[in-house]
Amino acid sequence: MSHAASTARSFVLAEFAGPDALFAAARQVRAAGHTALDAHMPYPVHGADEALGLKRSRVPLIALVGGLAGVVTAYLMAWWMNAVDYRINVAGRPFNALPAFVPIMFELGVLFASLAIFVGAILLFGLPRLHHPVFEVEEFRSASVDKFWLSVETSGETGRLREELQRAGASHVAVVEGEP
Amino acid sequence: MSVEIRTVGRAPDPLEPGPLILGTPDDRQLNDELLGHVYRPGRAWILLFLLAAGGTSLLLLGVTVTLVVGIGAWGNNVPVAWAFGIINFVWWIGIGHAGTLISAILLLFQQKWRTSINRFAEAMTLFAVMQAGLFPLIHVGRPWFAYWLFPYPATLGVWPNFKSPLIWDVFAVSTYFTVSLLFWYLGLIPDLAALRDTSKGLLRRRVYGVFALGWRGSARAWRHYRIAYLLLAGLATPLVLSVHTIVSFDFAVAQLPGWHTTIFPPYFVAGAVFSGFAMVLTLVIPARKLLGLERVITMRHLETMTKVLLVTGLMVAYGYMMEHFIAWYSGNPYEQFVFLNRATGPYAPVYWLMIFCNVVLPQIFWFKQARTTVAVIWVASVLINVGMWCERFIIIVTSLHRDFLPSSWAIYKPTWVDWSILLGTMGFFSFLFLLFVRYLPAVAITEVKELRHELAAHGPSAGHDAVGVPLAEEESNA
Amino acid sequence: MGLPIYGQAARPPGDDRGQRPLWRSLEELAAGRDEGRSPEFAPGADSPPDALSRRSFLQLLGATLAFAGLEACAPPREKIYPFVRQPAGLVPGQAVHYATAASLSGYGVGLLVRSNEGRPTKVEGNPDHPASLGGVGPFQQALLLDLYDPSRARGFQKRGRQLSYRGTLLELSQLAKGHEADGGARLRFLLEPSSSPLQAELRRRILERFPKARFTAWDPLSDDAARDGGRIAFGAPLEARPQLARADVILALDDDFLGFGPEQLRLMREYAARRVQGQELNRLYVAEPGLSVTGMNADHHLRMRSAEVVGFARAVAARLASKHGLASLAPLAEGARATPAASAVADDLARARGRSAVLCGPRQPAAVHALAHALNGALGNAGSTVRYLKPVLNDLSTGPAGLAALAAEVKAGKVDTLVVTAANPVYSAPADLDLEALLEHVPNALYLTLHDDETAEACSWVLAASHPYEQWGDTRGPDGTVSLVQPLIAPLFESMGEVDLLSAFLDQADLGARRQLQELWRQRRGGAGFDHDFERWLAAGLVPGTASPAEAPAPRTAAVAQALRDLPPAGAGGLEVGFVPDYKACDGRFAANAWLQELPHPVSKMTWDNAAYLSPATAEKLQLVNGDLVEIQLAGRAVTAPVWIQPGHADDALTLPLGYGRRAGGPVAKGAGFDAGRLRRSDAPWFAAGAALRKLGKRHPFAVTQTHDSMEGRPLALDFGAAEWQRGKGELEEHRGDPASIMPAMHAYEQEQYRWGMAVDLSRCTGCSACVVACQSENNIPVVGKDQVERRREMHWLRIDRYYQGAAADPQVALQPVACQHCETAPCEYVCPVNATVHSDEGLNEMVYNRCVGTRYCSNNCPYKVRRFNFLDYRGEMAPTEKMLMNPEVTVRTRGVMEKCTYCVQRIERARIEARVAGHPIREQDLKSACQQACPAEAIVFGNLNDPQARVTRLHHDERRYDLLHELGTKPRTAYLARLRNPNPDLA
Repeated sequence: MSHAASTARSFVLAEFAGPDALFAAARQVRAAGHTALDAHMPYPVHGADEALGLKRSRVPLIALVGGLAGVVTAYLMAWWMNAVDYRINVAGRPFNALPAFVPIMFELGVLFASLAIFVGAILLFGLPRLHHPVFEVEEFRSASVDKFWLSVETSGETGRLREELQRAGASHVAVVEGEP
Repeated sequence: MSVEIRTVGRAPDPLEPGPLILGTPDDRQLNDELLGHVYRPGRAWILLFLLAAGGTSLLLLGVTVTLVVGIGAWGNNVPVAWAFGIINFVWWIGIGHAGTLISAILLLFQQKWRTSINRFAEAMTLFAVMQAGLFPLIHVGRPWFAYWLFPYPATLGVWPNFKSPLIWDVFAVSTYFTVSLLFWYLGLIPDLAALRDTSKGLLRRRVYGVFALGWRGSARAWRHYRIAYLLLAGLATPLVLSVHTIVSFDFAVAQLPGWHTTIFPPYFVAGAVFSGFAMVLTLVIPARKLLGLERVITMRHLETMTKVLLVTGLMVAYGYMMEHFIAWYSGNPYEQFVFLNRATGPYAPVYWLMIFCNVVLPQIFWFKQARTTVAVIWVASVLINVGMWCERFIIIVTSLHRDFLPSSWAIYKPTWVDWSILLGTMGFFSFLFLLFVRYLPAVAITEVKELRHELAAHGPSAGHDAVGVPLAEEESNA
Repeated sequence: MGLPIYGQAARPPGDDRGQRPLWRSLEELAAGRDEGRSPEFAPGADSPPDALSRRSFLQLLGATLAFAGLEACAPPREKIYPFVRQPAGLVPGQAVHYATAASLSGYGVGLLVRSNEGRPTKVEGNPDHPASLGGVGPFQQALLLDLYDPSRARGFQKRGRQLSYRGTLLELSQLAKGHEADGGARLRFLLEPSSSPLQAELRRRILERFPKARFTAWDPLSDDAARDGGRIAFGAPLEARPQLARADVILALDDDFLGFGPEQLRLMREYAARRVQGQELNRLYVAEPGLSVTGMNADHHLRMRSAEVVGFARAVAARLASKHGLASLAPLAEGARATPAASAVADDLARARGRSAVLCGPRQPAAVHALAHALNGALGNAGSTVRYLKPVLNDLSTGPAGLAALAAEVKAGKVDTLVVTAANPVYSAPADLDLEALLEHVPNALYLTLHDDETAEACSWVLAASHPYEQWGDTRGPDGTVSLVQPLIAPLFESMGEVDLLSAFLDQADLGARRQLQELWRQRRGGAGFDHDFERWLAAGLVPGTASPAEAPAPRTAAVAQALRDLPPAGAGGLEVGFVPDYKACDGRFAANAWLQELPHPVSKMTWDNAAYLSPATAEKLQLVNGDLVEIQLAGRAVTAPVWIQPGHADDALTLPLGYGRRAGGPVAKGAGFDAGRLRRSDAPWFAAGAALRKLGKRHPFAVTQTHDSMEGRPLALDFGAAEWQRGKGELEEHRGDPASIMPAMHAYEQEQYRWGMAVDLSRCTGCSACVVACQSENNIPVVGKDQVERRREMHWLRIDRYYQGAAADPQVALQPVACQHCETAPCEYVCPVNATVHSDEGLNEMVYNRCVGTRYCSNNCPYKVRRFNFLDYRGEMAPTEKMLMNPEVTVRTRGVMEKCTYCVQRIERARIEARVAGHPIREQDLKSACQQACPAEAIVFGNLNDPQARVTRLHHDERRYDLLHELGTKPRTAYLARLRNPNPDLA
């Protein structure tokens, strides 16, 4: 925790045994006016979204766009390559043979959609980001195993927040500084 | 760590299905237990690994000979211009289907029992598709030009022919591999994070850390994660069906008697699922012992999969029946001859072996005794894989070796190169698989934890799993 | 290195030829090259890992002198004259045709040889030559491969000592001098039978110098019996020359006139022309022991042992005498047992008096020939369907008799010098003469040979012979027509011709063959403008007005009757063994020819082998199956042979094709088949009874290109009896016309200027397989070797399917040449992922070799299975001489590429260019596919379907036209014309 950049903000991390305690604490802290909350959990738990006040994900939209792009690309490719640029008599079949192009249109649709989803999701996660201030806390390792962590991001003084969280039943509270 | 295993056979109420998770482990226990094999490899692993490496070198030998000598090193001829190369391709692709099917379709249907085996099955898919992908490359006459099948701007100024099913194959297989990979990796990220945070040694932590991409289990991420994972599953499901449909087009689109039939797509897909599940069982039964996964891969999982085998087996049988019926009903002498020739011609033994393995054998799973005896399940699943290989042999070779003009009828005999490539791919497959279980969690820990949480927290109403088992009862009759 | 060879070829023979050290060094070079080749194939690249036969096989086609070939690739030093028009010098890229002639058993066939940049690359028939009429057989075409064969004999050796050409001539003239003292009493010549006037002249002059010298001609396939038959019947050794154009009924007594013999091409043309409706169909009866090409085509195949043929002929005579009042035949009918078949045949013959023909084959004894003459005489066929000509050969006797006499002299030590130009007598001579041992006793046994064969090993002098296409000379066709033989290329290797060798005994070798030839003809046809005439004859390929006039002899019945009485009684017990010339190896002279070795046997479809053919019933009796090895004992001799069950074969008889089981003569020849000649005796050269057969319990693998003989009731090679044809017509409707389809017609081929198509008339096709060799030669098709054929990887673009119908004992044979059908909606095309096989606007199904990646999907989807795949590197590294053989207008395919019939697209394009230059569209006469051109029966017709006048168009509208596998909707451009049979109702 040595470096303190100008943009440096402090994170108050609190470890809870289970999701319910976590959510309760989260509501308290929000009530106290803190908005930049996040929870770190080994697996997704229902209720986190409301507790932290998160909006719906935009991933489905990305998927739709990707999929359509794939289908269109596939058809244009096949049509241009077989009916325009290299128009050659193959077994007396039509040059622009839509039925024969369908399989590829489907496959490319799926491919593009999947890639869009994956890339989109990773970006929405804010990943890849190999270093993050929260990793400064050794105990935080339990976040991926069995413990539930609440992190409150604040620029102000953190003393009161720590007490608040301890009162909310945090088994461990730590403060780190760094860029969000 | 040893676990007391109750087989469902001794469950108090035979109608009540067995548990999905044995005992009452907490998340930390599950974590250590499921990652145990990554922390400390067993001696068995090393032994198997050497074996697999041997098989892989056999593959290298076969491929080298093929590249140096030419396709002439194989038994192929005219009329049987396709044989082992394509048989193995279809066989491996088929095997590659259970993985995505288990993870994706069962996820959509919210089948809780999938969680313990999906990672496993997905890995199997990837490695099987890798084997399959090998064949289109080495089976062409001039492998150094195989890339001509891709639509790239060539100086020749020519493009591929999008009317050819082989081009569809290129797109289908590459798409299938990519999507399976993404799906698999996305599911792996939280587990990689767990590995990062729990494994000893800086190097391991670093490596896993990099692959975990800095996953922090943040609720904001989980929110996108869930939906993304679900959507991928939604896309993968029709993809699975499409891939084997397109593979079946290689035959259905041709006009050869025995190939030119509209029943192929569904019948190929059923066959693929059939062989895929058989392969999962073949692998999972030894694996759960070796990796100590009995707690999460229970008899209930095995039994459910045998039921899938039974159902898909019946579908395959129906496919056979319809093929023969249509051949007779069409009144087309060429068609009729092909099916007669399959059952009575020079390759009749292979045909009847196929019938036994794919049609007769699965019927034993009508009986609970068979469904719940590990040895029986394992032997049956191995034989089913043999049977499905025979099916591809029958479809491809018997249709080709006696087609329209009797003057060009001939017999096909595989050479040692053919065999060593087939065995070699099995070796290479195991090779990759063993590496996987050595360095990555063979079970989706995160999902198992989530499942445990749901079962524990929500009690009887656990998910929509009709056969969900509340842990409370678990303990009471433990 | 190569240069000196060129020098020797180019320098006039007068001055000194190459020196020994040079020749040696070339030998060393050759050896060095041999090893040099192996790395190319070392990793097994030349054969599948578990079969190494192809390595040896490639080496035989491979190893040769570095550069020797290419350097020697030069036109002969004398001026030669192209067919029809003379080029203003050699235009590169412009092929030129030269007329020449090749002779077999001494009878010449006129040929046109295509020459690219001075390399002969294709042999075609000379339309103006009476024995060719434009057709050409497998042998003449395959000779071309021998020309470039790297394993050809080279140079001259005297007792193992290398001699230069000059040195040889000196040695020879000394040798000759030595014989002058006693007038050549101890000088003998054993010659290949010949009809060459030049040879006759040289022999005359040699006899002037050596009055006591003697000439003997030896031909293992001698037709002495025919001439002796003439002697018996007419008192003169006349030969019967059938005129089938006028023959309504043909009875072939053990005569394979469609499959073999000097008149094969002409007779096939005349016979086939009478098999199409329009003209009255002829009817062919064949009485023979085996199933020959002629037998396959017979309306009635009357199978009987060779010895029973005479009995049958007598029965016919008897019936004719008794029932049809041909009294003159009565004496010939003694003791004939009438059979229904014989009676029916006789009635048929009688009905067609003057329009029937009785043919008798060279395998039958003289008496039977005489009987045939008598029959023809009585039937009034003489002069109408059968002409009688004086023999054209320089020796009336070319058979075992002469050879036996010579052998006796040698045995008695009466021969010091024996000059052998006959083809490999040690191998082909009857076993009882044991020539091999005898030749040891001859101080100077000179052997002029094309290959280092068995005889070369036994002779003290071995002189490399120039290839027939490398020398000057002349020859006569069966009808007497003289053809001048001009070389197509200077000798590739140091060698001499027969003319040079004989002239050496006159000390005139320096003159050179051409000058001697010209001098001879100047004497014969002298006078003003001779030189111009001579050039014209060379250009045209024949000397006009040299055909022999027909004789009109009267048969002497009494003598014939006597001869018949003198015939040894048929049928001692046991099996009858019959010998036949092989359709591929002939008498063994083509055993070293890879094209012919791999050519499927017209009947059994066997390659790289011969076998002991026997009937299903006999096989049953002896419990034999195909490939069983048996030991055949005959008169104290025995050979081991694999058996092949031949439907239609006579019972209790074996047919053994000659020409295989070579002990020397190059890697191709060696080890293929067994030597039936070991059982041959000079007193029974063609058949003998009393053979015993012992099963050895071992098996022999055959490489056969068609392993399934039944059509399985499918409508493939359709045929109709003339009687039911009118009813059958309608049946064809469902095999032609546009198939129903929902697919829009994308291409209006009718709008194009050209719409290429082919028509194959199954009524004309005799299955002789000339087209297969023509295709192989024209399209640079590789030979793959026995192992690969066994694996069913033969590369022939054109195959002839042969199906048996009816009873296995005596089936009807259906023949069907199948090559790419050039379907308008080709199944092969739409499955190709890389567009490597696509359609041209003129309707060709094109194969783009350099785009092909070899998925082989097209082959799977081709219902006709005409596509061929290069499973291995079949060409490998070609020797220079092999490269010279290649047709420069056809790509040589590499490993991993699919190939197939192209309708000879290179010929289409050549014709297009020439037509453009000439400023007219491609006319029918401008363009022939290679198979069409070779076909002696005119069964294959290729052309432009958009030209209403074209023959192919008319045939496409013929009422016999149908499409193969029409119901698949492939719209093939090749149409088939159903075969018409003409069975005798009385024999139904």
